[in-house]
Amino acid sequence: MEPRFPDPTSLGLLLAVAALPFVLPTVTLASEAVVFATGTLSCSLLLGGVGLLSFGQGLFLGAGAYASGLLLRDAGLGTAAAVLLSTLGAAALAGLVGFISVRRRGVYFVMLTLAFAQMGYFAVLAAGRVTGGENGLTGVPRPSLPGGLALDTPGAVYAVLAVLCLSAFFLAQRVLASPFGSVLAAIRENEARAEALGYGTRAFKVAAFALAGGIAGLAGAMHTLFLGFVPPNTIQLEMSERLIVMAIIGGAGSPAGAFVGALFFVVAAEFLAELWPRWLILIGLLLIAIVLFMPRGIWGAAQELLARRRAAAVPGLAADA
Amino acid sequence: MPEPPPLLAAEGLGVRFGDFRALGGVSLRVRQGGIHSVIGPNGAGKTTLFNALTGARPPTEGAVTLAGREVTRMPAHRRARLGMSRSFQVTNLFAELAVRENLRLAVQAARGRSAWAFWHAPSRLPGVAEAVEGLLSLTGLAARADARAGSLPHGGQRALEIGMALASDPKLVLLDEPLAGMGVDDVARTKALIRGLAPARTVLLIEHNMGVVLDISDRITVLARGRVIAEGPPAAIRADPGVREAYLGSTGAAA
Repeated sequence: MEPRFPDPTSLGLLLAVAALPFVLPTVTLASEAVVFATGTLSCSLLLGGVGLLSFGQGLFLGAGAYASGLLLRDAGLGTAAAVLLSTLGAAALAGLVGFISVRRRGVYFVMLTLAFAQMGYFAVLAAGRVTGGENGLTGVPRPSLPGGLALDTPGAVYAVLAVLCLSAFFLAQRVLASPFGSVLAAIRENEARAEALGYGTRAFKVAAFALAGGIAGLAGAMHTLFLGFVPPNTIQLEMSERLIVMAIIGGAGSPAGAFVGALFFVVAAEFLAELWPRWLILIGLLLIAIVLFMPRGIWGAAQELLARRRAAAVPGLAADA
Repeated sequence: MPEPPPLLAAEGLGVRFGDFRALGGVSLRVRQGGIHSVIGPNGAGKTTLFNALTGARPPTEGAVTLAGREVTRMPAHRRARLGMSRSFQVTNLFAELAVRENLRLAVQAARGRSAWAFWHAPSRLPGVAEAVEGLLSLTGLAARADARAGSLPHGGQRALEIGMALASDPKLVLLDEPLAGMGVDDVARTKALIRGLAPARTVLLIEHNMGVVLDISDRITVLARGRVIAEGPPAAIRADPGVREAYLGSTGAAA
């Protein structure tokens, strides 16, 4: 019942990430999938791990995207340094936002994260001379990696994004299956009881928020590497919404659910957008159906199905004999 | 022979809620290694006394000493570190987590900063697994260790609650109505569990089941309307006319 690391889904993630560029129609689509999977992971970690619904993950993704863009283009940093610094910067920003937000619970916590997310977007517009305002941050270079690996083909970019995505997922799995992660689960289940046992629940929540913010920031830096520019929609409120929708579609209960949700959303968007410009209506209907009939998401439902089949298989064998 | 100093002592303890005096002038000396029960009709101030002793709601007057140390204003989680632990009157568990995980979280909570480790599995904290197994067998929950805590029958949940109170290996355990709502079999088992805690640990017990209280207590304090009306060994309490009157006057045949 308690999470483990590595578990079978760790291997599944590894295989899925390796197979994506060959299974999906384009490598670009595979890149988009791993970028959004990483962003969605930050939402799932908070929602499924600690029970915190954050509308602010788009802010940290956007912060990571802009920070990496500026570091690559204006500060002339290498790819590795830019990704690392933007990840840490987003984690620090999230630590600050979390420190303020976890003082409130329930809907007030959600409103605080929402307010911070809105401020981030308008701050980017206000600082238009640095950020490019509505036009975004254009002309971001992709310097070669320290080993001399040039990021000049979609395949090379995908390889880097895949490694970063897997690192984030393995880190999340490791953290959830640790003493720290078990306290997060305790907070999710019964925060008052966790506090009565002697856990400083507020500090644990701030730490989880900073970790999730760092992962969102990493997704932002990956987004910048992927596109070669930073569109302002990376920090718009819609980004936060999209990450939550992906997390819920996949199932927030585990990191694997985040991967499934993001993959499903990105692929569905690709195909549906060709069929109908108003495809988001279909995603809306799908979300309603999932919340009503599969509250644990696609991944949760798949796990249940698997468990039921396994349970059914045992008496089935006995009946045959 | 001089009496050893009490493990827990209250001196002139009082708690007011606005104009209402829930507790007044209560003095209590809990001897090391014994089972000391607090009884009294509903509304006598028993849980208020517990809250004042544990720091959940500090008293408005009087003083509390734990092992000779003044702790009247000390917050609850720091008293817990001095070896005081309590169970709750209302069952309060991690219902969706396994029984074993509930106990493990309680054991881990007593290990301070090691709960912050995020780079290894929880099972790698030294001594935790052994402590959890010990609590599982002590509470009689070993066979249900992997069940969801919320799926346990009421008696099992109460036993788990006691197990969690014992997880920090406390010197002093305060149990607030541990037998409430239990079936006959569970009562017998839990009674034996509580009796077995002493003399290694000291127990302060609030309980309505008078048969059990008279049977297992070394000493009984009787509260009525926020005051101590009697204190002594079970035989003396049983014979005390004031106690009979307090009970007959309020809850009828409770005694």
